[in-house]
Amino acid sequence: MRSRDRARGALEWALRSGVLILLAWVTWRSTAALGPSRERREARSSALRDSLEAWTLDPRAESLHVTLDELPALRERDWLVALRRAGAAVSWSSKGSSALALTIEPENDPAGGVRLALAAPTGSSVVVNDSLGVLDTVVTAGPSASLRVRALLGVASSAIGADSARATLRDSIARRGVLVLGSAGWEAKFVIAALEESGWNVSARLAVAPGIFVRQGGVELDTSVTGVVVALDSTAARDAREITRFVKSGGGLVIAGGAARSSGFGSLVAGKSGARVSAATIAFSDSAPRRALGFFPVAVDDDAVPIESRDGEIAVAARRVGEGRVVQMGYDATWRWRMQGADASPEAHRGWWSHLVASAAYRPAHQLRYDDTTVDPAPLASTFDALGAPTAVERATAAPAAVPALRGWMLLAMLAMLLVEWASRRLRGRT
Amino acid sequence: MSTFTFATASYESGDWDSAPLVPPNIIDTIARYTSIDVSPTGVVVPLGSPDLTRYPLVFLTGHLPVRLTSAEREQVARYVDRGGMLFVDDHNHDIDGAFHKTATEEIRRSVGELRELPNDHPVYSAFFRFPDGPPNTGHELNGWGDNLLHEHLLAVEREGRIAVLYSNKDYSSEWGYHPDNKRFLAVDNTKFAVNIVVYALTR
Repeated sequence: MRSRDRARGALEWALRSGVLILLAWVTWRSTAALGPSRERREARSSALRDSLEAWTLDPRAESLHVTLDELPALRERDWLVALRRAGAAVSWSSKGSSALALTIEPENDPAGGVRLALAAPTGSSVVVNDSLGVLDTVVTAGPSASLRVRALLGVASSAIGADSARATLRDSIARRGVLVLGSAGWEAKFVIAALEESGWNVSARLAVAPGIFVRQGGVELDTSVTGVVVALDSTAARDAREITRFVKSGGGLVIAGGAARSSGFGSLVAGKSGARVSAATIAFSDSAPRRALGFFPVAVDDDAVPIESRDGEIAVAARRVGEGRVVQMGYDATWRWRMQGADASPEAHRGWWSHLVASAAYRPAHQLRYDDTTVDPAPLASTFDALGAPTAVERATAAPAAVPALRGWMLLAMLAMLLVEWASRRLRGRT
Repeated sequence: MSTFTFATASYESGDWDSAPLVPPNIIDTIARYTSIDVSPTGVVVPLGSPDLTRYPLVFLTGHLPVRLTSAEREQVARYVDRGGMLFVDDHNHDIDGAFHKTATEEIRRSVGELRELPNDHPVYSAFFRFPDGPPNTGHELNGWGDNLLHEHLLAVEREGRIAVLYSNKDYSSEWGYHPDNKRFLAVDNTKFAVNIVVYALTR
């Protein structure tokens, strides 16, 4: 009998102790939650600006969460960063913001123009604007796309839905002249004409007799004056040493036709020139006009890049030499394209030569001043950079509800233990 | 390097072949003074043919009235638009002859208005120097034709380049002799032809 009483006494003691421990735990949790007045605030993109103003003035708002329907503007993102630096815990979540990026660079073309390069998810339809209005809509076939426009006003943006990347021109090109070296001939005449008609400032030195040259403008192999040299034939090789120094210091070189076969250009060429390949067609078509030209195929070196090929042979290749670029163009007698081609051929010939020269030309950039605070070329990337990785939406909302639920179970457990302990004591005397 | 081929234009009307010795004489002069890769024989190209564009410099001469067909007009306009250069010489060395009146009218219709070419134009210093402008011809100095010394050539320019060069000076007679006979001349009178060809090949 005595042993049974002792067991019941021990049980009652254990229940009282259990209730006390649970009470202490619940009290501690409640105190911790209230403790330093750490209150959670949440906002969506649409109300973010108002919320930021309110949070900044509210000393208790120390846990901030933003659910983004669209990527925040630069100003709002910086504001969140400032709040974080002031001690608030800032988190964000997003329901699928688009990874957009946009850069703009000026074309090295006397006619002007800019190139917009954009990154966007494959297959997305990206609307490209400038300050004046819509420039174009680009459907991306891969993770990137580019667009060329004649002129751009103000800030450009690429947008998918509400997300947009914004960029502006940061530099302009200080364009230099073109120096054409070769022999008097139809190729020289029409290359000079094509480049001048495209707006390039062309100087030339053309051999007409032994030791006699026709000169146009100054012949200066200096990047402060000349951006690119066009070597049309082997007569240009007499200046090979100077041209090599010019290219290594940043100048460009276009080696045309068979000029690349000159030993003087051996250290500059993109590859060895092979035996001349005859024209593949008699007539110049609009779609593939250069098939009607003969060319010297290029066996490209390891550090060179093929640019254009025909029937498995490389017709145009490029490489870097020192600070400069070399474009080796195997075609010869391209003047025939302009004279004998279809109606659009003069313009096509002009554009092709201008592009060829621009791709090799030295182009020092002048930085432009801009003070537009809305420029944000890669908003999602910079949001990651500024605020860290996003928090999962579920976790962000579920975590605060867990403590009250547990607290309820604890109270129920304490009540049950007290009832059992009370009942044990009440029934002890009757037995 | 493309070979330079001297081309003479034939046309439906008139006498385009009135100066058959000019092409070989000019070819000889080019080979004599320059390193230009020149074809030893010239060609005749119909003015109305698309083949015209194979020869970016074409020589045209004659005595008789010139009436171009619509195909010839079209080809001349297309040729000049693409950068070809037409050198026209009046074999009559006068300003009021049938060739002059009709040829200048055809040029005006097909290409544009002829204007006086200043005597300091680059064509006069393209190879040899002619500080006084176009060299005079024996027929001018003899008082034949209009009894005038033509001080200027005429030209239509496009984008700062000569598209049509027109002469009243009768170089067709002046240069119309066998190249071997140059040795009898104190001064080679075909030197200006080198300037025209070098200008065409470099500008």
